[in-house]
Amino acid sequence: MLDRLSVVLAVPIGVGMWLPLLGLRANRIAPPQPFSTADVFGFWPPFLILLVPIGLIFIRHPLIRTVLSMAGLIAVLISVGQGAVQLSSNAASFARVSPAVGAWITTAGFALLLLDALTRLRPGPMLRLGLLSCAILLTSLLMIGGAWDRISIMQEYGNRSTLFWTEGQRHLVLAFGSFVAALLAGIPLGIACHRIRNLRAPVIDLLTMIQTIPSIALFGMLILPLGWLAQNVDFAKALGISGIGTAPAMIALFLYALLPVVGNTAAGLDTVSSHVIEAADGTGFSRWGRLWKIELPLAMPVILTGARIVLVQNIGLATVCALIGAGGFGSFVFQGLGQTAPDLILLGALPTVALAFAASTIFGALIDLSKRGSDD
Amino acid sequence: MIELIGLSKHYDTVRAVDDVTLTIPTGTVTVIVGASGSGKSTLLRLVNGLVTPTSGHVEINGRDTRKIPSHDLRRRIGYAIQDHGLFPHWTAARNIATVPDLLGWPKARVKQRVQELMTLLQLDPAVIGARYPHQLSGGQAQRVGVARALAAEPELLLMDEPFGALDPAIRAQAQSDLKALQVRLGTTVLLITHDMAEAIFLADHIAVMRAGRIEQYGTPADILARPANSFVSGLVAVADRPFRYLSLFSVADFVEDGPADGPPIPADATLSEALARMIWSGQDTLPVAGMADHCIRRHSLIGVAGPPRSGAVR
Repeated sequence: MLDRLSVVLAVPIGVGMWLPLLGLRANRIAPPQPFSTADVFGFWPPFLILLVPIGLIFIRHPLIRTVLSMAGLIAVLISVGQGAVQLSSNAASFARVSPAVGAWITTAGFALLLLDALTRLRPGPMLRLGLLSCAILLTSLLMIGGAWDRISIMQEYGNRSTLFWTEGQRHLVLAFGSFVAALLAGIPLGIACHRIRNLRAPVIDLLTMIQTIPSIALFGMLILPLGWLAQNVDFAKALGISGIGTAPAMIALFLYALLPVVGNTAAGLDTVSSHVIEAADGTGFSRWGRLWKIELPLAMPVILTGARIVLVQNIGLATVCALIGAGGFGSFVFQGLGQTAPDLILLGALPTVALAFAASTIFGALIDLSKRGSDD
Repeated sequence: MIELIGLSKHYDTVRAVDDVTLTIPTGTVTVIVGASGSGKSTLLRLVNGLVTPTSGHVEINGRDTRKIPSHDLRRRIGYAIQDHGLFPHWTAARNIATVPDLLGWPKARVKQRVQELMTLLQLDPAVIGARYPHQLSGGQAQRVGVARALAAEPELLLMDEPFGALDPAIRAQAQSDLKALQVRLGTTVLLITHDMAEAIFLADHIAVMRAGRIEQYGTPADILARPANSFVSGLVAVADRPFRYLSLFSVADFVEDGPADGPPIPADATLSEALARMIWSGQDTLPVAGMADHCIRRHSLIGVAGPPRSGAVR
């Protein structure tokens, strides 16, 4: 029997192999001149790479599928880097080489095949963390080894490498700071919503309403009160609070993060069976003892699921915070938009995606670890 | 001695428990029998303070339980419930250690007590101890639940339909295991069930409950032989009632002088076993094991089951 996903993905990968792999531009913002894999490496290499998804149509063994799709992905990534080296060696020093549509399509195709193969492997939480570390290590080694140095995004990075790490740090502070604050406030609020029946509906309604406010509008709404605070309260000013910048960004991210945390905490506590609650009361747990030792541990997988949503959401949303001067990877995105420099946009977007993916994987593993005992 | 004194629990207009007074002598098993909605579960929860009484109170060895902080009280009263209510994120051993841990026993003592209880309840500590509740069979989970309830040597053990979730095939075994355990430990037990046969088998005293009130209180023999009203007699009126009645007496108490042939019957067998043997082998007398020139006669067995023939009760 044929593997359907491989059939579906072999088509775009096949088409992608003959679409432009790279675009060569005379300078940073000039229109690109397309080069396909065959243009750069000759007639046969694209066929060679295409053998992978065609082979996967007939292979079911998950480990072989993992190895093959990983090989395909690495082949595409390396050929992008090496192609850039070859193209730029014959071009002027201002010339830029960027990945083109073919590179994106084939990368996405192989990445999907790889994720699918990994899912079929059913790796345990520790193995998933191990695989993630390997992926990070491999990418770092390729980067340090200069595999993509001639790619335009890496040139944008080379021009502002110090700034990149500063903005990266600010991005992490924004995303994780608001995440931790949301957990500290949201979990107790979720517990209160679970215990006090009349509190739940209004709190959830209010948080849902906040969730629907567009981020830019929320920033705008925060400028006035925070500006007033900074002008009239010395303490606030001393803390560095102002109408724009980190303070409103943190507050907005915090507010968006509350709904998943509060909702999942209350829902997680609801899942604890009434028999267990009765047994806990009957064996003489105090109210706090029951919450701490019985209810919260049992609700933990659901609470962590909410935390995972929040962290991924915050890493993404933190990008927008650059608009009000809070910094982060978003500042590259908005600069790139302003200069119509797509590579600069990617310099902001790619690490954000990678960060969100890593956070999601780590939390997924944590959730599985917290379930130990209830379903292994 | 546990005394329930004028206990009532009213919910709006419903009298879930209505003025119940009951004494549970130390070291005995008292079983409350009633249909669902009879208030028996509420009564049990009134005893350990999970439900606060509308009026009345409970005394343990003369001490008013209202004067004991509720979580302290519950740590002194064992509580085993239907579907066992084990904590799903803890191993069997940790579940059993719950109350000793809450009481702050030293680690070594807790560990020793868990081992002791698991052995007592025929659970291999090395194998079952590390398992999580979902990895246990129904019977094992039920025994872990009982072990947890007994862990801190409670003054009273409350059991809410402890065998309700068990397969009928293993329920009888679980009941005799509990009975043997109770005899061995001398624990005072208050157990509720809807099953009269279970009550007759386990109880020293039975309280039949309906609509929040005790309809009759007495020994199993009293309840079987002299049901106080038509409700109670309805509960005990099952086809094998005479045999149930006979099963409450042992052969040793009805031994007479005289010879008998055939294989002897043990002195601790019940009269219903003796009668069954006589009917099956066609003998009027059976020799009693270890008692030469003594026997048990069919005629005296027929005399035992006299009370129902007195005409007052069908």
